Amino acid sequence: MAPVAGIGLRAPHLAAIGRDRPTTAFLEIHAENYLAPSPALEAVERLRDDYALSVHAVGLSLGSADGLDEAHLARVASLIDRLQPAHVSDHLAWSVSDGRYLDDLLPLPYTEEALGIVTGNVSRLQERLGRQVSLENPSSYLAFTHSTLSEPEFLSEVARRSGCGLLLDANNLYVTACNLRLDPKAWLDGLPMEAITEYHLAGHTVNDADGAPILIDDHASRVGGPVWSLFGEIVARLGPRPTLIEWDADIPALEVLLDEAACADRVVAEQGRGHARAA
Amino acid sequence: MLALRDLQAAMAAYLVSGDAAGIVGSVVGDSIPAAARLRIHRHHLHASLATALAGTFSTVRQLVGEGFFRAMARAFIATNLPTQPVLSEYGQEFADFVERYEPARDLPYLADVARLDWALNLAFHSPADPRLSAADLTTVPIEQLPSRTVHLAAGTTVIRSIYPLDRIWATCRPDAPADTVDLDEADARLLVFRRRDDAGFVAVSEAEAAFLQSLAAGACLEEGALAAFAADATFDLSVTFARLLDLGVFAAMQHQVWNDSVMGRPRAAFAAQSFAAPHDKSP
Repeated sequence: MAPVAGIGLRAPHLAAIGRDRPTTAFLEIHAENYLAPSPALEAVERLRDDYALSVHAVGLSLGSADGLDEAHLARVASLIDRLQPAHVSDHLAWSVSDGRYLDDLLPLPYTEEALGIVTGNVSRLQERLGRQVSLENPSSYLAFTHSTLSEPEFLSEVARRSGCGLLLDANNLYVTACNLRLDPKAWLDGLPMEAITEYHLAGHTVNDADGAPILIDDHASRVGGPVWSLFGEIVARLGPRPTLIEWDADIPALEVLLDEAACADRVVAEQGRGHARAA
Repeated sequence: MLALRDLQAAMAAYLVSGDAAGIVGSVVGDSIPAAARLRIHRHHLHASLATALAGTFSTVRQLVGEGFFRAMARAFIATNLPTQPVLSEYGQEFADFVERYEPARDLPYLADVARLDWALNLAFHSPADPRLSAADLTTVPIEQLPSRTVHLAAGTTVIRSIYPLDRIWATCRPDAPADTVDLDEADARLLVFRRRDDAGFVAVSEAEAAFLQSLAAGACLEEGALAAFAADATFDLSVTFARLLDLGVFAAMQHQVWNDSVMGRPRAAFAAQSFAAPHDKSP
């Protein structure tokens, strides 16, 4: 099976990747780091012919009741036009309220009202870009008392109404399941397999919240054992998809990232065979 | 039940102020109380914005250390949230904030270091548009040169300080040997500009700084030279012009507006207020 795992392209590795051109299924960038001109953007443009790219946005605030920031959307559209990436995605979350950017992926109540707002924003994004985008399940630290839908119900319905893809982050699912006391396997049951376009993998850490453990999705370490197990279950059930290794803080040597990607490829090769047999 | 817009406003108010009264009742609490769950987001917001500021103002961070910088960043963030998600464009007001920040009053040069960091950040995030070359100038009749305007390339700026900013900056590089800087040893005039793979600066003379600032404000070459001569009667225009051409700080012809007489005086490539205000030496 051809490799499906890609890595995040981060500033410390830009020169080495430009020089050595390591083999990887794709390179991912955060849209917001490349909206202004810079030598880094020029370096990414030089890689465009040799690598499939994934543009992962973190600031579109698809859950904002205020709607999308059209000025920001125009800059993202311009970047996507320049780079022609294979994948475009952002999160089921919000970060903008009343013109202030709250640099976080903030949680949404899963209500009919929020469903209408997210669907409208995702549809506007796809219309502006002229292409499908994928919506990623977030890492959750809290739930709202007035939520009436489960997260998979909410994601499925946004995908059905807007035609967007779903990006399934195995680490986020594991973090959410631990923090909100959910069963990740039951969570997976509710997801429409055909809408899933991409997988993400990352490391998390365990913190203390008033004496109880809480998992923090910090993208600062290797993928944890339980997340590899869950990823194997996901691939066995849903089949292989392009898979990203995310590492955004305490960034390691490039070889470590490539090794994590090779681990993901091994899981996909192993479980993907099982999936093929089951299909 | 709060409508989504009101919930988001209440959450934003909590994240900024730390007062959870408007939001905590909407959050599920169990073995982890709702307030503890909310704190994760408040902590994340401040930590991630402080990290962004530490990246942009890396020399300031190096000078004051992690703990001092984080506290200063937290105080800045409380009144200066970003208005959009491109964090390389966040922190324009930071240098002025540092100048007023009471715990940093014993570090009077710190705000100028922040201005240098910000200028380097702006230069880094500027396009690599073609630069003016000596060959380009051969197409302009020599008698017309004095009345021409020459625009500085995007991201090019002059930073002035009464402190030896370049020496301070050099001691903060990761591989710099331990060194001390005499704050009275020299004032600084630094020309900051985008290079091919990064942003950098060179020291310029008072006359060169006057020349550059004059051109930036839209003056023609002759007016720029007069400003330079006023600063230093021994100013050598041809030497300076050749040096600046070589550094690549002028925008190429196609990025210039040459027909002043038809179009009127073109706007400067960047606004004069992007310069740090000159500081007077204290008596």
